[in-house]
Amino acid sequence: MARFRNKKRKDFVKPVVKKQQPSVDHITGDKIPKSFVFSRGKMPGSLRQLQMDLRKLMLPYTALKLKEKKRNNLKDYLNVAGPMGVTHFLILSKTETAPYLRVARTPQGPTLTFKVHEYSLAVDIAQSQLRPRCPQDLFKNAPLIVLSGFGTGEQHLKLTTIMFQNIFPAIDINTVKLSSCQRIVLLNYNKETKLIDFRHYSIRLQPVGVSRRIRKFVQNHQVPDLRRLQDVSDFVTKAGYGSESEMDDEAATVSLPSDLGRVNRASTKSAVKLQEIGPRMTLQLIKIEEGLCSGGVIFSEYGNGDEKSKQDAREENNEEEEEEEMEET
Amino acid sequence: MQTQEVGKSPKKRKVGHKKGSKTKKKLKMLQGNGEEKVRINQKMKKLFRKRVRDYNSDDDDDSAPVIEDVSGQLNDKKEVSDGHSSDEERENHGDVGEENEVSEDDEIVIQPGITKFTEGCKAFRMAFKKITKTSVSDDVLGPVLSAHKKLVVEKLAEEDVKRKVKGEAKKEKHLVGEKGHAKPANFLDLYEKFLIGVATKGDFQFPMCIAGLSVVKLFNAVNKSQNAQKGLNPSRSNDAKAIRKQRKEAFFSELGNTSQFTRAPAKIAASTGPADGEGPAWAPLRDNYMLTNSMLKDWDKMPDTRVADDFGMPADSSSDDD
Repeated sequence: MARFRNKKRKDFVKPVVKKQQPSVDHITGDKIPKSFVFSRGKMPGSLRQLQMDLRKLMLPYTALKLKEKKRNNLKDYLNVAGPMGVTHFLILSKTETAPYLRVARTPQGPTLTFKVHEYSLAVDIAQSQLRPRCPQDLFKNAPLIVLSGFGTGEQHLKLTTIMFQNIFPAIDINTVKLSSCQRIVLLNYNKETKLIDFRHYSIRLQPVGVSRRIRKFVQNHQVPDLRRLQDVSDFVTKAGYGSESEMDDEAATVSLPSDLGRVNRASTKSAVKLQEIGPRMTLQLIKIEEGLCSGGVIFSEYGNGDEKSKQDAREENNEEEEEEEMEET
Repeated sequence: MQTQEVGKSPKKRKVGHKKGSKTKKKLKMLQGNGEEKVRINQKMKKLFRKRVRDYNSDDDDDSAPVIEDVSGQLNDKKEVSDGHSSDEERENHGDVGEENEVSEDDEIVIQPGITKFTEGCKAFRMAFKKITKTSVSDDVLGPVLSAHKKLVVEKLAEEDVKRKVKGEAKKEKHLVGEKGHAKPANFLDLYEKFLIGVATKGDFQFPMCIAGLSVVKLFNAVNKSQNAQKGLNPSRSNDAKAIRKQRKEAFFSELGNTSQFTRAPAKIAASTGPADGEGPAWAPLRDNYMLTNSMLKDWDKMPDTRVADDFGMPADSSSDDD
């Protein structure tokens, strides 16, 4: 009976056509980094939201709908990560003092532990903006990453930069399509406060030297309001208000290798505009561990004594273990 | 008692409802209900009614007085408090008033089949007169047993405290949960502007740092490298060489200022470098490579992209490849 049932069931199962994400970039042949974003322990609502925002940020190479259970431990994630080719973990946790973000490379580590001093959700940021922007294909491509201020020569900062550079797929300058560069993640290290500002922007290109009216006209395809104009030519010649004031400086303009949409032509210059999409975080690097959430402490913000004592403890442990082993043998 | 009361002449009736209620008190005592008198819900009423019926089962009573009995409870209490102390505690004034009225017509009803004190008892009369004479200050809540009042007050206070504590705990928990959560301001403050600037144009404060990469720089680099190879046909070997050269130059000129870069990424590049020729991890050598690749026309760029490396990589790291 059971066998029949099984057969029947098989019939019912609709063959799921899985669109397998490539684990290797076809053009460069590099391994595409993938990530899991999850949390450890019980999280309040806002942090859960932050987790969701981070997942969206890590798109497309992340598990957007990763289901977690209370009893899942790190090993579970690690076990899943192997076959799926997940290379990075972003782990949110929370103590009474603050939320923490751990960025770890699987399976061996290292693990960077950040204290989240302040964070704003994507929702908050959208609310604070007059016109929040979210084009459809915003999350279809991986973001660029800009690291700034990390070049102080300190070892742990170097490690941080490497970590974050490798968290997103690398871009090949010769073949990349600029239309796929829609987002950017900025990590700015502040030397004085030792805090890292984590921002997430969307990239928008605008033609330079065109008045706002004409730009809008081209973009929207709507018949402009000409009631107040004497002549049609006024529409072109009269400069709209406000457009000149927000005109950008030279440094923010680029010329494109190919046309980008209807508005941005290769022949004209375009201005780069960034608009924040969140989440926003202020991080402080607290600790770097060798392994995945374990192992020796490479760097610790709160003094070396702590680290030393830990190392001592570890050594002691090792010794004890050795002794035990000796005894066993 | 009851019998006597009922037996009294109409004169007595004038004395007021108190008497009537007094009788009810007796009844109530017999019922011996320890319930809170304030709450008389439907269920309780039923129960009381039943009890009274049981109690009066000897008499062929009509239902009216019985109902009155139930509702008259409050009056009984009042009576008691009258007797006890003059400090009046009030609970729900409205209820009491209602009950009083009800009990007034209550005493009109004369229960049949009850023996009467034909002559009456003077002592009783005096006692009742005395009681009824005592003035009851009309408080808002009406007379309530003092003990009970204290209980109620205590309970209310307790509830209040409990609620407060609960609310505070909740608030605290929420606060702890929201720790670090900051709502951004509606305007772009200076720092945010600075950050956007850094992201677009790169970091000018520390020009030697890794920040060399920014949106504008990347776009320009892409533009240069992609423009350079426009006119050339990559299938011709001469052109291919030229392309390679141009790309490298363009790339380095754009990102050259990042040459300060750290050693660690160089290691990565070095490790990938040798893969140029034979690496099995190399995409073209995989079985499904040609099948899945949509960019077949770019096949010849493969080795080159290795050299020029990706955007995230430092410039100098790949320079030792050639």
